[in-house]
Amino acid sequence: MKIKINELSAMSYRLGALNMRFIRMLVLVVLVALAGCSAIPTPEVREDVSSETSTEDGAAADVIRIGAAVSETGKYSREGRDTRQGYGTWLEWVNNEYGGIDVAGKRYQVELVMYDDEGDPDTVARLVEQLISEDRVDFLLGPYSSSLTQSASAISEKYDKIMVEGNGASESLFERGFRNLFAVLTPAGNYTQSALKMLAEQGAQSVVIAYEDTAFPTSVAEGAQRWAKAYGLEVLGVETYPRDVADVSGIMAKFKEVEPDIFVGGGHFNDAILFIRAAKELDFNPKAMVITVGPSNPKLVQEVGADAEYVIGPTQWEASMSYEDEYFGTAAEYAARYEAQWSEPPTYQAAESTATALALHLAIEAAGALDTNSVRNALRELDVVTFYGPINFDETGKNASKPMGAIQVQDGEILVVAPGHAAVSELRYPAPDWKDR
Amino acid sequence: MARVRGRLAQLGQGWGGLGLWWLLLAALALYPYTGVTHLTLFLGSQVFVLVTLASNWNLIGGMTGYVDFGHAVFFGIGAYVMGILVTKSPLLVSPEWGFLQALPVSGAAAAIFALLIGLPTLRLKGPYFSIAMLGTFVAMREIVRVLRPLTGGGVGLNLPPVLNRLGDYYLMLVLMGLVVSIMWWIRRSEFGQSLIAIREDEIGAEMRGINTTLHKILAFMIAAFFTGVVGGFWAWQNTFIDPDVVFIETRTVEMVMMSMLGGLGTVWGPPLGAVVIYVLQTVVWGRLFGIHLLALGILMVLLVLFLPEGILGTSGRGGGTSIVRLWGRIRKRSDP
Repeated sequence: MKIKINELSAMSYRLGALNMRFIRMLVLVVLVALAGCSAIPTPEVREDVSSETSTEDGAAADVIRIGAAVSETGKYSREGRDTRQGYGTWLEWVNNEYGGIDVAGKRYQVELVMYDDEGDPDTVARLVEQLISEDRVDFLLGPYSSSLTQSASAISEKYDKIMVEGNGASESLFERGFRNLFAVLTPAGNYTQSALKMLAEQGAQSVVIAYEDTAFPTSVAEGAQRWAKAYGLEVLGVETYPRDVADVSGIMAKFKEVEPDIFVGGGHFNDAILFIRAAKELDFNPKAMVITVGPSNPKLVQEVGADAEYVIGPTQWEASMSYEDEYFGTAAEYAARYEAQWSEPPTYQAAESTATALALHLAIEAAGALDTNSVRNALRELDVVTFYGPINFDETGKNASKPMGAIQVQDGEILVVAPGHAAVSELRYPAPDWKDR
Repeated sequence: MARVRGRLAQLGQGWGGLGLWWLLLAALALYPYTGVTHLTLFLGSQVFVLVTLASNWNLIGGMTGYVDFGHAVFFGIGAYVMGILVTKSPLLVSPEWGFLQALPVSGAAAAIFALLIGLPTLRLKGPYFSIAMLGTFVAMREIVRVLRPLTGGGVGLNLPPVLNRLGDYYLMLVLMGLVVSIMWWIRRSEFGQSLIAIREDEIGAEMRGINTTLHKILAFMIAAFFTGVVGGFWAWQNTFIDPDVVFIETRTVEMVMMSMLGGLGTVWGPPLGAVVIYVLQTVVWGRLFGIHLLALGILMVLLVLFLPEGILGTSGRGGGTSIVRLWGRIRKRSDP
């Protein structure tokens, strides 16, 4: 390194002498601009967004416009499609079967404006801005994923627009004091509640937790520790691992030594496979494995085969659950309707998206008006049971009343074992050791 | 014709170019008075962000010839310094003042990091430098993830949701105006000529008495400073940061793409490239729903094939910008 002080000063001299004219000009321009700022009034920005409905353009008089930016391309394209189709199921039903939303005796057809956010926070911000200030939507539905919901909800909050979402479970979304954000899905902190409660009742006494260090799994794990304490389970160890981890055997080896009754782990689908394989290889034998993401997806059984047996997983919704409402019927009837429309069975992302739109719909009807304040109040007071489960928002906008389901892989089938009233099968506990299977 | 070509080659090097630029800035400053929506202001500030980023990248990647594939690391550092200052520092009174105070700090942190990382990496040449910077970028993402008490780890940080589209517009307008003006000045100055000398022949430049290390580090720090400021601004405007939204590779790719399209090493090329790409992205996205990524990709391939030096690039043989040369080639073909 050959920087010397005298060279630096020589350099600064050369830089300065070279174009003093430029610097003088720049200073002048900045000064003029500053002087201008103090003298000139602030420009008016057209604030059309607060207009209550989009009724000014005559033809659209009997239409409620709802907007959403949901990924069609990008990293969330798969889940984004489920979300779109979930919204689409409700749209089809409300316009063609239900006959439009009933606002104080008048029927409104629904127009759904959807854009592709490409999974990118800048794009989602631009599109939500566009939905509000140009498309003049009356209400917003959420995008897919917690981080995009973070960006989008700050904008809807600014313009005082209601956003109901069903695909952002991270708890930090609801710690910002937003008044206009409502989420129908069970918050991440409650993911393991049903499973841990049930296992504690079966006699389990200790638990270890491993989770991916990103927003959603962290909320899940913090909740798991809370519920473990509440149900008298001793927490013997907590480990984190980075996103896209390739090997978890170090964590599993550590856990094997403390011999816990329950293993709780998870982040993404791939982690579920890693955990099951590592446990088998190391002969780590917890009496129950609760994996947060993966078990409710039939692909897991295809991937790891018989090793997936006895694995327990939380689930937001399953078609076999015993919930029902007067709109979509039972969960199974909803699934049949969905499959008829889209030629594939609904994932829970699809179901929660339909429930999101339904919650907004019911709140509008309860309010009997379209303005933000009335609908917000109606959303706060909403207390219904739908095909997706109970919906009752707390003061932060979370749907804390909905219990998380739990499924267990039994003979290659994914069966709901909790909560009691939605269960279709008995829990198998404890799981036998790997060598006895 | 030859004279026109000569003129075009000199495009924007003189005071005329800067004058036009400042006129454009003045027009943009008056634009909100014509009655605009928040969406327009937001689009404006997004374009200004891209122009500023592309110009900064061009200083190190275009003028100095060190192709930096990890430049978004400075953006990320700026974003995180902003995030940490406005959420954790007790010194800041109101969020909006805190934001303005934290903005230069974001830049300074990025510049200091550029000094530290530039000392070892700027010794590397060609692809080795590019790869080292890419490594730095990926490593920083993981470091931010691990420093959980400070950065919130993978959970990220929620910034106060104070959105001011009009303020953002003017702030980014001023920053963009400043950065591009500085690039114009550097391009004319002895400092800039030295950078170009380093790009063309580093050993030769050293032989002629240019302290290449000092020049490279300074250029790197300037580019990092403003990238850091933009990062801080972005964090504020997005109201939420986590390692995966801040440290995304596409941000660097965008900077490279915009600089290349406009013309590497030119003053006005990167801003032009940024605008063209932004317009293409939004327009193409609107018209060709579903296949827009494919269309954009094909367009980029065509541009690289037929305009490898960018729209305003002048480094090839013959005079004039590459647009002029392309036009000349087409005319030659069509002449019988």
